[in-house]
Amino acid sequence: MTPENKISWFCTYTPLEILDAAGWHPVRHFGDPDLLESADEMLHPAICPYARACLSQELRQEGPHHAFFVNSCDAMRRLYDVWKEEFQQDFVYLMDLPRNEGVWGRKLLAEEFRHLIGVLEDHSGVKITAQLIQAAGMAREEARLAYLESAKGLKGRARLEAAMRFQGGTEQPEPSSRKGRPVVLTGNLLNPTGIITSLEQAGAMVVWMDLCNGDRSFASSTYVEGDDLARLLDAMAARYLEKHPCARMQDKGRHYQLLVDRVRSEGAQGVIYASLKFCDSYLYDFPLLEERLKQEGIPLLRLESDYGDGHVGQLLTRVEAFIEMI
Amino acid sequence: MPEHGAHRELKEEVKDRFLDKLSPSMVRSKLFWASVERLSRSRLNRPQWKADRVSLAHFLRNTRDAYLKRAPVVWTNLLVPSELVIGLGCIPFYPEMAAAAVAAAGLAPRFIDRAIEIGFSSDGCSYHRCLLGCAIEGFLPEPDLLISLNYPCDSAPLSFGYAAGLFNAEQVIIDIPMPGRPSSRALLAAQLEEVAMKMAGLSGLKEEEMMRGLAESIELSNQALGYLCKVEELRKRDDCMLDGKDAMGNISVLSGCLGSQAGAEFYRLLLHELEERGSVGEDSKRLMWMHLKPWYSQAIFDVLDRHGVRVVCEEYTHSCWEAMDAGDPFNSLAAKVGNHFLVGPLERRASHLVRLADNYRVDGAIHYNHWGCRQSCGGAVHIKRELRRRGIPTLLLDGDCVDHREYQEGQISTRLEAFLESLN
Repeated sequence: MTPENKISWFCTYTPLEILDAAGWHPVRHFGDPDLLESADEMLHPAICPYARACLSQELRQEGPHHAFFVNSCDAMRRLYDVWKEEFQQDFVYLMDLPRNEGVWGRKLLAEEFRHLIGVLEDHSGVKITAQLIQAAGMAREEARLAYLESAKGLKGRARLEAAMRFQGGTEQPEPSSRKGRPVVLTGNLLNPTGIITSLEQAGAMVVWMDLCNGDRSFASSTYVEGDDLARLLDAMAARYLEKHPCARMQDKGRHYQLLVDRVRSEGAQGVIYASLKFCDSYLYDFPLLEERLKQEGIPLLRLESDYGDGHVGQLLTRVEAFIEMI
Repeated sequence: MPEHGAHRELKEEVKDRFLDKLSPSMVRSKLFWASVERLSRSRLNRPQWKADRVSLAHFLRNTRDAYLKRAPVVWTNLLVPSELVIGLGCIPFYPEMAAAAVAAAGLAPRFIDRAIEIGFSSDGCSYHRCLLGCAIEGFLPEPDLLISLNYPCDSAPLSFGYAAGLFNAEQVIIDIPMPGRPSSRALLAAQLEEVAMKMAGLSGLKEEEMMRGLAESIELSNQALGYLCKVEELRKRDDCMLDGKDAMGNISVLSGCLGSQAGAEFYRLLLHELEERGSVGEDSKRLMWMHLKPWYSQAIFDVLDRHGVRVVCEEYTHSCWEAMDAGDPFNSLAAKVGNHFLVGPLERRASHLVRLADNYRVDGAIHYNHWGCRQSCGGAVHIKRELRRRGIPTLLLDGDCVDHREYQEGQISTRLEAFLESLN
């Protein structure tokens, strides 16, 4: 990897195999949670702290600042806008993502993949073929399976750090705590030194992380085969929309069923819902999920993160009470 | 000018006699609506503009019919074209507008708190918390279908998703593709056609009737557009009497009346009255207003009046589409919706605002940062920068359009006064 071909990505719906096929080296951006307030001059403080943390960190770094955004939410679209304005010399791209997982969603996403390929070919001069995408997809699938294998037995913070390392972070996993009540963590994106650490201290053993930067990235395969580029992209679009979804997608029923299945298969005794402040997808999701888990008899605790998580000590008592209760 | 005395009197009368005593069963009674309509026609209701009587009558009739289930009710968010719903014999109901009306009546906190009680965070948009609270308490008409576009914001598809579950009704999310892609319009048109078939099914319309209804509705929308464009030309004049503090409410007409007789009649009357009325007669400073205003208070506009400053254009109340082809409704509506300046990257919104600022020769601009509105607040700094590059001073004012408890009057007033002084 050279600085010239490194490209930051932010959302699990990023078609990494297409970026790989075009010769880019995609690296997940996690931002610096300690710096996020310095982005306030460009992004309103009531915008997702992850978006602000990414911008803050990037503004302090030397370029290039190539970045690939997915139009997954208002915050990501606004981060793209600022990034594009600030780093005008760099490759900054926004790909659309439908909320519908049905026929129009699949068509729209396949068209987006086609458009992206055209833009990437114009930018780099590399012809992107079905074979290149398939080979990249195979390598991604192997990495996904390698993560799932290496994550066996990893819990809590160590598991999150492993997931982040596989997505392009640099953290090395520490030995896991194997003590505590097994719980599933669900939400958007967490800082590995924040809430998740307090969960371990309070006696929770996180066995699965349904997080954007956790296991969700690895929960579903997007690998498809085929020599015809148009058909390959159609199939890829379908696979991407069949992935384990996040809260912004329309089919809530499928999302919740997958979560319930995971709780059962992992032997978890409860769910901890930890989401970043100002993330509308998760703010609106909670009451519906709460209702569903209640029907299933699965205990639920809600926590909120500002990504920096300087307040985690205050959460200990609540988490301890929850652990005792389950 | 401070709030009109008679208008304030009417609001108090309505609040005392009706609003504080409202119950879900009352808003579903014919007697209630007969009283409301009588009151709206009474001498107590003296709107600033004759056209306002037309829009008020339209919304009262539609809302009454929605509660009384006189036709299928379709919940829609702001960018869903009303032509589509009206043309198919359904009643469009805009819960975001209902939240603004609830806020104007001073009732929003009760419903916002109800939504928070069941788990909706106070960090979310208060329009949507308010509408969800109203829905949970049984104050909104039950939808037969909910349609939300993926723009202008994330909140509508998400809050409508909850409401769909609450009412056990179907929700359709239409994904507007990114502007500028070769297949964007066709993909959007196909989705609009699919949802049109659903609405025609609800109304019992055959395909031929559906196409006739849409053609008629598009013709009426085109008429409204024609008058609106002329209104906009008049508003560019120094002596135009229509102030933005009144015009801002016309967002409800632009979003909810186009495709109806009332929509065309509203803009026809407004044009006629603007042509008739005399000049403002003062050399006032000209402002552009971005995003929406607090619906529960006129305090900001009282400050503007004291400084002799007028809002001459507003972000959301201007035409931004071409006349449509009544024979090709889905492609036409797709072009209208898909090219909206709020769709896609911020540069489109910025271009719209810069164009408005140029056309209306503004001396300054105010962006009202509604708490929880990521799409709008998230772009405010960028917009301010774009306007400043063109020499237009811009003030970002943090507040809330719906929840008056989040409105810091002293702080807003101080910042506003300082800004207005700097304009001079």
